[in-house]
Amino acid sequence: MKVKIALAQINPILGDIFKNREKHLEFIERAIKEKAKVIVFPELSLTGYSLLDLSMEVALSPDDLFFKEFFELSKYIDIVFGFVEKGVDKIIYNSAMYLSQGAIKQIYRKIYLPTHGMFQELRFFGKGKNVFVFDTDFGRISMLICRDFFHPSLLFLSYAGGADFIFALSNMPLRGLSGDKPYIEETVEKAADTYANFLSMFIVFVNRVGFEDGLGFYGGSFVESPLLVRHGFAGILNEKLTFAEVETNDIYKKRQSFPLLREEDFSLIKQNLERILEGQK
Amino acid sequence: MINLSLNYKLVRKFIKNFIREEISSNGFNRAVVGLSGGVDSSLVLYLTVDALGNKNVRTIMMPYKTSSPDSLKDAMLVVDELKVSYEIVDISNIADAYLENIKDISNLRKGNFLARTRMAVLFDKALEFQSVVVGTSNKSELLLGYSTWYGDMAAGLYPIGDLYKTQVWGLAKEVGVPERIVKKKPSADLWPGQSDEKELGASYKELDEILSLYIDQRKGYDEIVSLGYKKSTINIVLQRIYKTQYKRTFPPVAKFSPRTVGIDFLYPHDFKR
Repeated sequence: MKVKIALAQINPILGDIFKNREKHLEFIERAIKEKAKVIVFPELSLTGYSLLDLSMEVALSPDDLFFKEFFELSKYIDIVFGFVEKGVDKIIYNSAMYLSQGAIKQIYRKIYLPTHGMFQELRFFGKGKNVFVFDTDFGRISMLICRDFFHPSLLFLSYAGGADFIFALSNMPLRGLSGDKPYIEETVEKAADTYANFLSMFIVFVNRVGFEDGLGFYGGSFVESPLLVRHGFAGILNEKLTFAEVETNDIYKKRQSFPLLREEDFSLIKQNLERILEGQK
Repeated sequence: MINLSLNYKLVRKFIKNFIREEISSNGFNRAVVGLSGGVDSSLVLYLTVDALGNKNVRTIMMPYKTSSPDSLKDAMLVVDELKVSYEIVDISNIADAYLENIKDISNLRKGNFLARTRMAVLFDKALEFQSVVVGTSNKSELLLGYSTWYGDMAAGLYPIGDLYKTQVWGLAKEVGVPERIVKKKPSADLWPGQSDEKELGASYKELDEILSLYIDQRKGYDEIVSLGYKKSTINIVLQRIYKTQYKRTFPPVAKFSPRTVGIDFLYPHDFKR
């Protein structure tokens, strides 16, 4: 099955959910015109990243009327975006929402919230606890947010759940400018190659651009296929909507020629993990 | 001994975007740059003009009576090249109204006073031009505290604040700052014959390498010694870093309320309502 994925590499305005909503709607309309199946925005695409005390001020319940037009447009295209979620448990989360056919398909709460160096997410957000896989009409999806993508263990859970696509919504600031590419871009691309190859799934990486309080987010969004072909690369530093047209059958092809999944023994992994963790007590 | 060179093409693009976006998120589209004729301010002017266009940038030269005439000549070279509007404000009368009544003033006091006089002029010009003051401090001087607090450090943004001096030279070459400016001996020109490297006690090459090892690579004192750097130079660097930390932080506020500026009133710099 051929699937067209729209990668919305945007530059949100910090703390301005109304202007950012306009930008989302504009990008969604463009992706609908291009007949994309799904459009993916970056982490916290509705709010910007460096929120600090603004975090609670921009938080929204997933069923807030603010999202009315998103629900409406999701009848024509699946929509994935990042926002600050006002949880029913009265905790706010750094979340991603997947809308399809006018309804919420899944909400994912970021699990690993970096809190070191320039990052302070745990000061403001609650920690997510669950990795999900869910079915769409083009395949099984698992969402992860930014730092989560650097934890192979989380991708392994998605793999165990039978995911065909990882949607990694990111806000990665640029660092390392001594080589041809920013160091962080190299790191992400190497990770994506490795995951796509050994987990034999599609990696959809969408990162924002723009500056906030000195941090410059580098962009560099792309889709990596299990056959290790990169699609829809958006380039770095500029706002852009790109499209990746992929063939889901590539997953079968890869898993025939490199049958790691067939060899995989999840119950063995589970038993060993329990034994090893038990031994560490 | 270590290579600090960067992909200057990419650095240039990154900083250009930084200037444009940070100025616009401050609600402006124009900038002023104080231009001494040295490599830091020349580079910043090139980058700012690159980001905003020459119509949106004004540069101010502020010589004092003891400033080297070559400084102004070099500054004019940059102005002509960039076709940017400029103003020369001789600060001799302003500064001397205060300085002339003081006996036995040290070079340091005088230098600080001149830097702060320039700051006052520059911020007034920024308001007149409805613009932001773009800072010219680099990473070496910020870390070594080799600049005047509320003087040349005062600015709305620091585009080259993460570049060591030796990297400033590299980027300056990339953007086309005239060679004679890139090649000249670094000096704050606060008094005749002043030299950065003489005052700091080591070359920028050595200082930058030690800074990079200590700050960016988190190497300890002994590790840096074992790499062959002079203990005396390492000591200069470490002492300067720790002695000048106050210049790089918000001053302590006596906290007693629920939300205190500088401590837990945590709004981002770039947020506008």
